[in-house]
Amino acid sequence: MKGKKKTMTQNDDEGAPSPSEKLPSPVVSDYDSESDSDYEVAPRNTIGDVPLKWYEDEPHIGYDIKGKKIKKKEKQDKLDSFLANVDDSKNWRKIYDEYNDETIELTKDEIKLVRRLLKNRAPHPDFDPYQDYVDWFKWDDAKHPLSNAPEPKRRFIPSKWEAKKVVKYVRAIRNGYNPFDKPKEEDGPYLLWGDDSGSTEKANYLSYIPAPKQKLPGHDESYNPPLEYIPTQEEINAYQLMFEEDRPKFIPKRFTSMRSIPAYENAMKDCFERCLDLYLCPRVRKKRLNIDPESLKPKLPSRKELKPYPITCYIEYKGHEDAVTSISVEASGQWMASGSSDGTVRIWEVETGRCLKRWEVGEAVNCVAWNPLPDIHILAVCVGQDVLLLNTCLGDEEEQKCIKELLWVDSTIASDDSGNKAPSVSWLKDDKHMGLRLRHFKTVTALEWHRKGDYFSTSFELLIHQLSKKLTQKLPFKLHGLAVRSTFHPSRSIFFVCTKQSVRVYDLLKTKIIKKLDTGLREASSIAVHPGGDNLIVGSKEGKMCWFDMDLSSKPYKILKCHPKDINNVIFHRSYPLFASCSDDCTAYVFHGMVYSDLNQNPLIVPLEILRGHTSSNGRGILDCKFHPRQPWLFTAGADKLIKLYCH
Amino acid sequence: MVKHYRPPGKKKEGNAAKFVIRSQALKQLQISLPLFRKLCILKGVTPREPKKKFKGTHQTYYHVKDIAFLHHEPLVEIHRAIRVHERKIKKAEAKKNHERANRLREKTPKPKIDRIIRQRYPRFVDALGELDDCLTMVHLFAALPASESKKIEVESVHKCRRLAHEWQAFISRTHKLRKTFVSVKGIYYQAEVEGQTITWLTPHSLQQVVSDDVDIITMLNFLQLYEPLLSFVNFRLYHSINLKYPPILDPRLESLAADLYALSRYVSGNTRLSVVNSEALQSESEKIETKQNEAETGTEKSELRLAQLQHQLPSNEPGALMHLVEEVTGEDEEDQDTKECKKLFKNMKFFLSREVPRESLLFVIPAFGGIVSWEGQGAPFGESDQSITHQIVDRESQGHRFLSREYIQPQWVYDCVNARIILPTENYLVGRIPPPHLSPFIDYDEEGAYIPDYAKTIKHLQAAARKEVLFLPGVGKEDLEDPQSLLVEGVIDRAEANDAARRKQKMMILEQQYHDDLKKELQGVTHTSAGSKETSTGVVPTGESTTNVQENEDDMGKLMMSRKKRKLLEAMQISNKRKQAQHDLIKQRKKKIEEAQSQRS
Repeated sequence: MKGKKKTMTQNDDEGAPSPSEKLPSPVVSDYDSESDSDYEVAPRNTIGDVPLKWYEDEPHIGYDIKGKKIKKKEKQDKLDSFLANVDDSKNWRKIYDEYNDETIELTKDEIKLVRRLLKNRAPHPDFDPYQDYVDWFKWDDAKHPLSNAPEPKRRFIPSKWEAKKVVKYVRAIRNGYNPFDKPKEEDGPYLLWGDDSGSTEKANYLSYIPAPKQKLPGHDESYNPPLEYIPTQEEINAYQLMFEEDRPKFIPKRFTSMRSIPAYENAMKDCFERCLDLYLCPRVRKKRLNIDPESLKPKLPSRKELKPYPITCYIEYKGHEDAVTSISVEASGQWMASGSSDGTVRIWEVETGRCLKRWEVGEAVNCVAWNPLPDIHILAVCVGQDVLLLNTCLGDEEEQKCIKELLWVDSTIASDDSGNKAPSVSWLKDDKHMGLRLRHFKTVTALEWHRKGDYFSTSFELLIHQLSKKLTQKLPFKLHGLAVRSTFHPSRSIFFVCTKQSVRVYDLLKTKIIKKLDTGLREASSIAVHPGGDNLIVGSKEGKMCWFDMDLSSKPYKILKCHPKDINNVIFHRSYPLFASCSDDCTAYVFHGMVYSDLNQNPLIVPLEILRGHTSSNGRGILDCKFHPRQPWLFTAGADKLIKLYCH
Repeated sequence: MVKHYRPPGKKKEGNAAKFVIRSQALKQLQISLPLFRKLCILKGVTPREPKKKFKGTHQTYYHVKDIAFLHHEPLVEIHRAIRVHERKIKKAEAKKNHERANRLREKTPKPKIDRIIRQRYPRFVDALGELDDCLTMVHLFAALPASESKKIEVESVHKCRRLAHEWQAFISRTHKLRKTFVSVKGIYYQAEVEGQTITWLTPHSLQQVVSDDVDIITMLNFLQLYEPLLSFVNFRLYHSINLKYPPILDPRLESLAADLYALSRYVSGNTRLSVVNSEALQSESEKIETKQNEAETGTEKSELRLAQLQHQLPSNEPGALMHLVEEVTGEDEEDQDTKECKKLFKNMKFFLSREVPRESLLFVIPAFGGIVSWEGQGAPFGESDQSITHQIVDRESQGHRFLSREYIQPQWVYDCVNARIILPTENYLVGRIPPPHLSPFIDYDEEGAYIPDYAKTIKHLQAAARKEVLFLPGVGKEDLEDPQSLLVEGVIDRAEANDAARRKQKMMILEQQYHDDLKKELQGVTHTSAGSKETSTGVVPTGESTTNVQENEDDMGKLMMSRKKRKLLEAMQISNKRKQAQHDLIKQRKKKIEEAQSQRS
């Protein structure tokens, strides 16, 4: 507005050709652009506001208004210009205008203006920025106010929100917390375990099990292990064939110097896996037994002290043409009878192995049993549904007479009996074998004599026969399950019946059940009573043998799992503390089974010997075993047609 | 506790009442799975194995009491607050209210770990006993590259590095290091602090790769516990030797990445001063003064060396007499091992060349009483120092060789430390392939264990060293106590004696067996002869073979065992067999190698 007209100064740069028109300096023109420009002359160059860099390499600086190129001036020699500058006292107010390629000399006024601008003042010297305000508006005559709104309430009352905030701060300060404070520096470590007296404090949570330490590395993890720890290439290849779990995770390598050890690529992974173990694995205290495995075996008396017992096979009895299913030793121990599935019954002399007698009974023999009395040489044979009582023709004449009397049956009585009782057994005379034949309705698998030699029992269908009266009676008890075997008590009138899962003990005089023994076996196959009468063993088809102490409990005192296959028979020795079991796995075990008269002392069971020698045929091994009545000898009858005698 | 409907009079019983599966636990605690995991890690709650897994075998079971223990934990509350805070920050960010966001960020509540540490480790010994994993992890993170994408922060890496160095400085200063082992996985160290054996693994000082198959968040959770744990442990340890914690380090050495050296200087310098003056404050000021002096003077190197020497020569100091007395009493408390370790590298000066594991050796050598320097800035003495006895070099160099010192490979140091004797250096000279580096953690007493040749040589050397000591007038107590060394005059070592005994036993067993066999045979003969008299047709007398006798006896013993014991026995036999197979394999390989060598020669 009040801008002074600029006076353009003539550029009298020596040596340079002076331009034809007067030009304003760009600085001034920038500043005072709106001033009316009488003297304002358009710049010589017409290229406009483009970067001057574009014309750097050209011979011209631009174009004039007529479109002609404006040539660049000759560049002055540096030395010359310097000398000129030194000579010229006004040189400091000269400015080179690159746009128009000319030098401008500033006037005194212009320099003052520049100075004012540099000091951030108004460019014009006369301008007063703080002059008094003149209120040009006339307020006095105005009829209406500019705004008719009433004054708001907030102008008169203190702010509620501010008050709330203040209260909050006041409270905070009172509580010892200064909200205007910077957050405190993180407090570093301190003496956490200053006094270990707190160690006794009992935590009320569960017991803490510390994590097991990691396994310490062995030689194979060394960077330079002994050569023998490095697997060969073939072994490394073999690792690929292994299961992934079995494959070794770490393959030893050898580096000749420490500088050649590379970074371990699984370092992070190992650490991570350890972390997972630490927080995801249940921790259980396990007792690691750092003992010799041999010490786990129970302390048993030496076998040498427990001699005699059968050790070696002494005699083999050959002659049967099929599996020998059953054997029985005569009470004196001189004779041994055997029944086979080829349908023959043979009697052998024990010590010589001579076959004394042979009967053809036609069918496979299930069981043979000598009468336990030494003067009655009667052999009971179970054949199919029949029981044959044979006179073996041993002994002197008086004995023979007695036997013949026993084996004589009146056929008429027998038929009467059968007429009266339909399900009973018929006692018949067997002329062929000079004996008696008891015809049953079911197959007879096992036969047991009473110790007095008058009674004997047969199973499946449990019957007790009396030889002297030729009587047959059924047991007056209800049986649960099929009777597998039965046996008489060696001294009292007690009868044991072994069913598949339990053993029932009956008193025959009182005709009531005394005890039920729970075997826990799947299928019992045999039973034997200790000559003392209080202990019995039960063999089973799963290869287990249970020893029951009847005074102790109805549960087994000891279960011996010795055979991998079915046990066919178990037997006690009558005088020695021995018992034995035989099984389809072609072995017979001999045990020492000592029963003490002192009730506080448990029976002592020591395994003594495994008797091998039989071979398997048709999946069956040893079918029967019996002890010699006087000697510690064991007879075994095998499915391989042999009978063996094991002696001490 | 969430109440479930249960018919009246019916209570949960047994395992169902004692255990909950993880999802039930989450429901009870009302927290997310990641937070639950974090809490479990921090509080040390692990799943448990109920006798009966009532919800199936694939579930994780926690004890009800454990969950209740987490339920009462203030950390749960703090983490809820943190979540709320994070939501606020997010909101502020979304509204571009950065100032508020920053302020909130500053005020984010931080979980306090010290209480948990105290709870988990009521005694200091407990903490030391479980320090293995902590140290391994901290050392690993100290070597990791910080990366934003993996959420590994620069600060935490630095902190880990510092903590690791502080720990090493303490161990080195108090000579508690016992064993070292350079493996492919890294370097194992074993120290004994307050009766606790602590083993940790440090990775080789090379760039570690953070693979994608690890869940870094889990590891960071562990680190959140381990960092404070180690700092508290360090505090307590430094406190026990009258040092201020955290240590103030020489910034110049720190910038040269010689943290450990700076630390050890601080540690040794300060203990000395504090011992003399018995005033930690004064020592501190003195320390600062010396530091200032150092900064002012241009000849820093000589100054440093002076300081180093000063540590070695206590008699230079004013209260030397009193100090000596104190040192003697102090040494009485130290056990035999520490004394032995302290003296191993006594009067030896080491210089580390390029390309050797500097950090590890700087830690190990002073721990066994040696003086060490290295090539580079800030080292206490240069390569040209005439008093250097050993220079550790890995690569053969063509530079000037001093005749007064031995040029050995770094493995020599580690092997010496493990054997606790100064081994002959011939095998370890530069340019040779060093003898195998053996693990010091193997126990050769186990029966049938394979003993590498070099272990035997070391044992002989040890025995020889012991013998020397034995003949000296001042007989050490430990030698008198060791009857075996007296008996065999220190020449035959224990392993060999064991071997001999075993051989003898075996011979005896064989003999016994032979006699038994003879006897049996005799019996058999008598039987056959007795039987042959009575033989007739169909009788085949046989002398039962006794091949199965041994087997029989084994079976007999097994028969009478209970099923549990029998299974245990079988398991033991299997594992023994496997171990033996492992040893046999190595022996076989050894044989093959020897054969190949003999063929070549």
